[in-house]
Amino acid sequence: MAELKLTRRSMLKKTGLATAAGTVTFMGPWYYNRVYAAASDKPILIGLTSDASGQYANSGASDRRGMLMAIAEFNERGGVLGRMVETIHIDTETTPATGSRAAERLITRNECAFLIGAVSSGVANAISQVAQKYGTIYLNTNSSSPTESGKNCHRVKFVWDGNGKNFAQAAVKNAISSYGTKWMLMTNDYVWGHNTSAATRQLVEQFGGEIIDEILVPQGTRDFSSMLLKVQQAAPQVVAAAVGGDDQKAMRQQVSQLGLGEKMAWINNQQDWPDVYGLPIENLFGVFGTTWYWKLDLPGVAEFVQRYQAAYPDTRMRVPGNVFYNGYMATKELLSAVERAGSTNNHKVIRELEGLKVSAHDRMQHHDAYMNPATHQMQQTVYLATANQGTEDQDDLFRILSQSDPEEIRDAGADAACMMESLDDTPTFEM
Amino acid sequence: MSQIIPHILNGLSLGLLFALIALGFMLIVGVMELINLAHGSLFALGAYFAMMIISPNLVWTGAVGEFWQAVPLSLRYGLAILVAPVMVAVVGMGLEFCMRRTYGKKAEYGLLMTFGAALVIEEAIRLVWGPSEQYLQVPQAISGAVLFAGLIYSKYKLFAALFAAGAIVLVWFFLERTPYGAIIKAGAHDSEMVRALGINLSRLRLLVFGLGAGLAGFAGIVLTPIWGLRPHVGIDAVIPAFLIIVLGGVGSFWGAVAGGILVGLAVGITGAYASEWSLLSMYLLLIAVVSVRARGLLGKKSALEA
Repeated sequence: MAELKLTRRSMLKKTGLATAAGTVTFMGPWYYNRVYAAASDKPILIGLTSDASGQYANSGASDRRGMLMAIAEFNERGGVLGRMVETIHIDTETTPATGSRAAERLITRNECAFLIGAVSSGVANAISQVAQKYGTIYLNTNSSSPTESGKNCHRVKFVWDGNGKNFAQAAVKNAISSYGTKWMLMTNDYVWGHNTSAATRQLVEQFGGEIIDEILVPQGTRDFSSMLLKVQQAAPQVVAAAVGGDDQKAMRQQVSQLGLGEKMAWINNQQDWPDVYGLPIENLFGVFGTTWYWKLDLPGVAEFVQRYQAAYPDTRMRVPGNVFYNGYMATKELLSAVERAGSTNNHKVIRELEGLKVSAHDRMQHHDAYMNPATHQMQQTVYLATANQGTEDQDDLFRILSQSDPEEIRDAGADAACMMESLDDTPTFEM
Repeated sequence: MSQIIPHILNGLSLGLLFALIALGFMLIVGVMELINLAHGSLFALGAYFAMMIISPNLVWTGAVGEFWQAVPLSLRYGLAILVAPVMVAVVGMGLEFCMRRTYGKKAEYGLLMTFGAALVIEEAIRLVWGPSEQYLQVPQAISGAVLFAGLIYSKYKLFAALFAAGAIVLVWFFLERTPYGAIIKAGAHDSEMVRALGINLSRLRLLVFGLGAGLAGFAGIVLTPIWGLRPHVGIDAVIPAFLIIVLGGVGSFWGAVAGGILVGLAVGITGAYASEWSLLSMYLLLIAVVSVRARGLLGKKSALEA
């Protein structure tokens, strides 16, 4: 019988080797290659990270309705890869910290395969950092800060809305020639507002205009009287407002009460449908951008509106808006990408989405759209609109003024600013 | 220098509105020593009740609905501003009735109860009127703009400040010049003695809570044509209200008024010259005042203080 000789040196060596092997087993392949039971009958679980309270509660609800309608349509056809699609929603409260917690919980505890939903850029950025850590694909449906597809881009994040730079490019040059060179900025004091105003400032200066002042609007501002007095004292020819959500609603109401909408030109970077629906048309002054409108004279639009009304007969918002549209389109394209990939493997789905091209017909827009693989932002048609004064139809609030080809309004700065993680550095998994 | 004058005047009018928001909150804290976290929801409820009176959905009633819509807006608005606060007062009294089991227990019971009530009221608003933005109509005579010294002001905001000033005077008159006011103040000072004198303390609390709730509802009707109307609008009211009564001194009527005006001036002037600080300015003001005078501007000295 061989004698077992246990020396201090051999003991240390064995312990060291065992510890290293254990660590590699536990941390290495497991961390980067999670494979959950992807049984064919197991539902695909999607985490919905939309706001149900706070500044963007209303838009968050619209966003969510869009996602749910797309999922319901796939489920009616038998699901995706033969598996039903189920959802879990957590209210992200228009708060980045809550967004982080919600994402962490949906990924680690609920084991969601994908995350969808955002209106606030701050919340979207927080969610995407968590999603990148786990490799979970995240669709930023409706937040439009240029940083989302610029310096805060991630391999797992796909941005579906036009960004502040896209809208500014569509509006600024024409506005300078139509209204004048003396501009003032009103900027919501958070990431989207700052980045959108920075993009506007750059374009105004590029086309020979001058920014005479910038008013920062803290989130949660309800009384704009002092700011509007300051605007009057400065007497700009154009006010470019990057103010969103409930702040924007209060601002619109007060600008309208003063009749300032007619005294100077107002350029509102993007106008989300839920922010103006149901308000008097007088509140809808100035020129603003949107990615879609329910009365576009394009094939499929009327049927899409009918499907919305059939799906949500009791919703006070009788027609879909841009926020609903973005939520719907993003979800639909994700599930289609899973089908094309033939798998929920995140790397395969990411590759599918990076090569995504959608015809104008399928997008119900004027131009073909495509996913920019360098920034993960959907390059799409942007429309400029104004209030549809004198209409009898209470839902027909917008009058579309122009539409821009995605290439004309491309945010070249995002390509330079986006330093995306490589696919190899992104954990892979399959649910 | 002349550039700042409009901002000071604007700050004063804003201050009156802030004082109006704090008035009902102050009354309930002062008399019942209860922080009513449902104050914001009652504020919102007042505006929704007013909207229901001004522009109700009465299509289903046929002729009745047509008749009511034909009544001039100013009459409907006048009725709303009188009736809606009473409706909120009734809701407030119902809440006070539910609160009774928490009296004499730790303060947390009352806080949790009113917090729960705030959530219930907000959800009820969402269910009844929907989650979307709504619009509270005001008569033509008090909407639009006025031109003064080359600047445009909101006519409605001037009227709102007048409404607020009127409400402040009426509440002061009620508290200082009527026997009911004397009983309420006595109840706040020494409730046991008031009870010993044969005054029904339960009824007194019911009245005070109803009055505080009614004032919250009135503030909602006055403020929402400026702020906009949505189910969670109350959160925009409850935080400044709490801050103002701490700043002015808990339970002090004139403290609430002074606190409101100071907050209005701080927000109004910073809004013009350092707008990014405009919301923060009220918190900085509170820190500055409480650091040197812990009981607030006009708060009474505690028995525990030397």
